[in-house]
Amino acid sequence: MIDFGYLIIVNEGADTNYTRLAYALALSIKNTQKEGYDKVALVIDDKQHIENFTSTWVFDHVIEYQGPEGWDSRSYMDQVTPFEHTVCLDADMLFFRDYSHWAEYFIANSELYVANKAYTYRGELVVSDHYRKCFTMNNLPNLYSFYTFFKKDSVLAKEFFDLQRAIIKNPERYSNEFLISHKPKVVGTDEAFALAANILDIADDIAYPLEFPRVVHMKGMIQNWPYPADTVSDHVGFYFDRNAKVKIGNFQQTDILHYVEKDKITLETINILEEIAWKKR
Amino acid sequence: MKKGVVIFAHNNRQIDYAKMALASGGLAKKHLGVPVSLITDQSTVDWLKESNLWDKALQTFEQIIDVERPADLQQRKFKDGKESVTAPFKNSNRSSVWDLTPYDRTLMIDCDYFIFSDALNEYWECESDILISTKYNDVQGNRIGYLDKYISDTGVRLLWATTVMFTKNENTKVFFELVKHIKDNYKKFADIFRFDNRMYRNDISFGIARHILYGFETDNDYAMPPVLSVPDMDLVYDVNENGIQLLTSNANDYTLCNIKDRDIHIMNKQAITRHIDKFMELV
Repeated sequence: MIDFGYLIIVNEGADTNYTRLAYALALSIKNTQKEGYDKVALVIDDKQHIENFTSTWVFDHVIEYQGPEGWDSRSYMDQVTPFEHTVCLDADMLFFRDYSHWAEYFIANSELYVANKAYTYRGELVVSDHYRKCFTMNNLPNLYSFYTFFKKDSVLAKEFFDLQRAIIKNPERYSNEFLISHKPKVVGTDEAFALAANILDIADDIAYPLEFPRVVHMKGMIQNWPYPADTVSDHVGFYFDRNAKVKIGNFQQTDILHYVEKDKITLETINILEEIAWKKR
Repeated sequence: MKKGVVIFAHNNRQIDYAKMALASGGLAKKHLGVPVSLITDQSTVDWLKESNLWDKALQTFEQIIDVERPADLQQRKFKDGKESVTAPFKNSNRSSVWDLTPYDRTLMIDCDYFIFSDALNEYWECESDILISTKYNDVQGNRIGYLDKYISDTGVRLLWATTVMFTKNENTKVFFELVKHIKDNYKKFADIFRFDNRMYRNDISFGIARHILYGFETDNDYAMPPVLSVPDMDLVYDVNENGIQLLTSNANDYTLCNIKDRDIHIMNKQAITRHIDKFMELV
């Protein structure tokens, strides 16, 4: 049996409920992925956050982890994962169809693969660099950490994650040296991933062209609209139906949805996802 | 499988679509080597006879299919360079092409689409039941607006029903029935899909029908080639064996350019009318 699973790392904030988002994502994974490719591990600073959830069984592993204060614990994904083969996801995502065959592909062909494309709700490739000036101006590979596959004992992955941790730890030093054309306000995981890949010269090995993952990124300014938009739902509806399918505007979503707006996951959406999960179980 | 071209033409008092269809149909027949049929109405037929073009029509068209004239439900401003004229726009019966076509595989073209190459012959054997242009190429290259690509700011992709190829079967029957349903409930669909419904556009109905039949997703399936188009702000300067000379509009002046051996969609109907005899000479 292949030891593969999805890893969701949550840093619970005061004004968000990331644990609930992670729970919704875990439910959607259980509801859509083939058995053996539907394992989920939750990394959380305090296990008490999940005590009120009805179906905590959707988390195959719950790992309590206190990362360094003020850090995004995703930087430690390679160290905290309980799986041999892992896909680390952002918590504010939903799955709508089975991607097990792609997990099989990565297991067979990759030690480390980082998403390098995003799509609009209309299924078009995001071309705007509105939120990614640092990437274009510093000629960084267009990496998105929201879907990262890695193999635990990979030397390549270890070098990569060690360096991106060093970048996160010393943002001033690295941005002064390498991000001269456009210094970001915060060196986040995406910037650290891209810079690490650039320094190690492995961008072509870990982000080669592939039809997957297709992640719909719901930030307002990258939807190819003719006007500026702060939040997507100011302009198009978000419709979550009884079958846990989502339509945005007139577009059925079948790719992985990175919905960004955290209030989209309500108790009602959780109830729908839970009901489906119970029936499947 | 019998293949052929179908053109719709319903005259109004300002624009002689039938004569345009004669040129367009003649060129399609010449360059594609397939029969062409005309779908028209009795008053347009009467006008063809009155203007001594009936014999020419019988030579050009394999069949002349007489249908009820679409109602004058909408007026449209037809631009002619910097001038314009308002006239009825009778474009609402395209969805009936499935019932009316005499062919198994049909290429439906607008009568302002002039075929000067055999490029579209590549598509007869394509496995897709229906092929529609998904893009519009401006002849000058840089005048494509947002609403030339989408039906609305946040909506689905606009299709260009200027060139549509389809096989007559149950799948395409559903498609054209859906186009008709959208046409019949245009305001309701405008609410749902948030487009401007003041003028009926086949391009919008075709775009929505395609979107619905693809499960409300953007499809990247086979399509007809982009429609090389001359917007109605441009003028036709001359038409001869060396090509079509156009005056393409810029902010303050015009640029002269020549198009040769390329299929072309000329939206300025008055400009076509002024040169229609020259178009017909090329047939």
